[in-house]
Amino acid sequence: MLKPLLTATLIALPLSLPLTLPATAQDLPPPVVETAVRDHILPGFSALAGSSARLAQVAETDCTGQAETLRNAWGAAFDDWIRVSHLRFGPTEMENRAFALAYWPDSRGTTPKTLTKLFADHDPIITSPDGMGSVSVAARGFYALEFLLYDPKFQTDAGYACALTRALTADIAATTSAISRDWTESYTALILTPGSEYSPYHSTDEVKQELFKALAMGLQFTSDTRLGRPLGTFERPRPTRAEAWRSGRSQHNVILSLQALRQLALILAEGDANLVSDVEQAFDTAIQQATALDDPIFAGVEDPSKRLKVEILQQTIDLIREQQLANIGNKLGVAAGFNALDGD
Amino acid sequence: MKRFFLTSSALALSLTATTGHAAPTAKEVLDTYATIAVAKFQDSLTTGQALQAAVDALIAAPSDATLTAARSAWKAARVPYQQTEVYRFGNAIVDDWEGKVNAWPLDEGLIDYVDDGSYIGPSDENEYAALNVVATPKFSLGGTEIDASEITPTLLETALQEADGVETNVATGYHAIEFLLWGQDLNGHAAGAGDRPWTDFAQGSDCTNGNCDRRAAYLKAATDLLVSDLEFMVAQWADGGDARTTLMADDKAGLSAILTGMGSLSYGELAGERMRLGLLLNDPEEEHDCFSDNTHNSHYYDGKGIQDAYLGSYTRVDGTVVSGASLSQMVAVGNPALDAEMKAKLDTTVQALGALKAAADNGFAYDQMLERGNAQGEALIMGGVNGLIDQTKSIERVVAALGLDGLAFEGSDSLDNPGAVFE
Repeated sequence: MLKPLLTATLIALPLSLPLTLPATAQDLPPPVVETAVRDHILPGFSALAGSSARLAQVAETDCTGQAETLRNAWGAAFDDWIRVSHLRFGPTEMENRAFALAYWPDSRGTTPKTLTKLFADHDPIITSPDGMGSVSVAARGFYALEFLLYDPKFQTDAGYACALTRALTADIAATTSAISRDWTESYTALILTPGSEYSPYHSTDEVKQELFKALAMGLQFTSDTRLGRPLGTFERPRPTRAEAWRSGRSQHNVILSLQALRQLALILAEGDANLVSDVEQAFDTAIQQATALDDPIFAGVEDPSKRLKVEILQQTIDLIREQQLANIGNKLGVAAGFNALDGD
Repeated sequence: MKRFFLTSSALALSLTATTGHAAPTAKEVLDTYATIAVAKFQDSLTTGQALQAAVDALIAAPSDATLTAARSAWKAARVPYQQTEVYRFGNAIVDDWEGKVNAWPLDEGLIDYVDDGSYIGPSDENEYAALNVVATPKFSLGGTEIDASEITPTLLETALQEADGVETNVATGYHAIEFLLWGQDLNGHAAGAGDRPWTDFAQGSDCTNGNCDRRAAYLKAATDLLVSDLEFMVAQWADGGDARTTLMADDKAGLSAILTGMGSLSYGELAGERMRLGLLLNDPEEEHDCFSDNTHNSHYYDGKGIQDAYLGSYTRVDGTVVSGASLSQMVAVGNPALDAEMKAKLDTTVQALGALKAAADNGFAYDQMLERGNAQGEALIMGGVNGLIDQTKSIERVVAALGLDGLAFEGSDSLDNPGAVFE
């Protein structure tokens, strides 16, 4: 586990240079950017690193999949991941860290397929130094760990399951710690000095656009993927495509993501009282609908009356995208740009 | 071909007229883009017709030679087609149609026999993943009885394509044909493509793996359908065609369509879904042209197409060049530095994809590059991915420089086709 940390530090070094240079940025970031970094991004990634470190510690003590303490520790860290999962730029994208934490959706069943192969081969890669870094992302992170903790198929071979659980949790801890450290030590400085030599942003507008895109992508993912996948079509609902249904987290994840996106949206709307009020109201409606569903794994998509409630929630989120997102974009003066969900 | 020379000289003339620091008009830029679309789809059609002829020859007289000829024709047909992909995300007409011709990835067991040991078979996601239409003249699909005793283009496109609402039930297009010509690639991470024997199409007692007549009928139906689908798309871009009319109707929306196509293909689709994902999963089936091992070419010509869209230039399969007023010229007038940045980044990407293509052409198969721990392969693929991601940033800057920001929030495009325009 030492090696990946070293690599990350080496990469982080040139990025941290601007901190020591005089502040010659042409563009001063507006308060919304500073607030977003200080109140939303940094605490989010710091919490994730903390709960992930605890998860790895718990796994060292008790690595059996059915252990309540282990499942709870996994759940707490997964919660913290969902809360930052829309922030897909900078440190999460280096070395494919976000992919290594969260490979989902998995439309071809690659996660169980890859895990099965690791078990069948008793592949020693998982305990070799630097080994997890080269394992397929489908067999890493929170979603792979869910199979180990909740699918009995992966609990029969207790010895290998234990070793793999420890390897996965240590990998998650190392990855989240690297993200948090890069944000604190270098990327914060870069995002707050657009136009400076090492900043990937040419202007304040590009920084605002980055944050705006994160909000847009988060809403799109929750609507299209977290809700859209299990909904399928009326004739052909797909309950087993719900996110993390094995652990009963599908509805929970939707609520967490909406709460996190609400916080970011309110920060971006700051300074325009009417907009803040509209955004708040729109998100509160969505969160209230999501909470009222009482359908933890969206099994209700097959029952017309329960399905309707999930569809209404999806429409509420799409209305936020259509109206509030557009208003926030206009206020910030930025366009939606391109994101990773473009394409098929 | 004669007519094209005329067209391209006319375009060249108008190009000369617009130099001298006057920016071309949006209409001129859009006209070039549509004219190149016609040329690209027409090239896709003629090479598709050559594939059709080669398939007919294979079926009439199955042999190693006719199968090899059909495979070569398929690879040749991919060259112009991949260069059209940049038209996809910006133009709803292309995007709505694309799934018929280029859907991927596919659960190939829907179509024909597969290797039992390695194939995933029916799954939670797709209960028809091993249906094997070639071997099954009658079956039930989502509660409907299907009579497939005669395999026709209509059967493929209506009953089988995306059967049961599952996207990986791909029954038509280049990749279905590819599977029928090559078969599964069972080499894992080792070099080598699918190795279907020509006798899979032999009639009588020479037939291997059963149902050779139905396999031939499937191949014929899929190839005929591809050709008619390509004919449809050529017509959409011709004068008076819907795609051209829609594009030309609104200057800003039209320019935005060009850039949306460039950005979405660069980032979400090619860099993400098709290239980085395969690497992250170390999965040789996550290869765009996995049966034929032609993925490096597909990626390269996708990248070339993105560059073409910005430079307003396309080299046809016969070597002639179609070019005209371009986005590049438009950006250069107001912001020469940004134009230089954009051109340099497109060039870097094409070079990186070219290095990948050259390595594969010299025997370093794409499957091998995807293998866990293959640092050289990872570097080659990531070179392309990084170039594509980096150029997307500049495409966003071009959108801003041309004042196309916020366009996504206006008009009806964002509602009709949020995937392509809103993002």
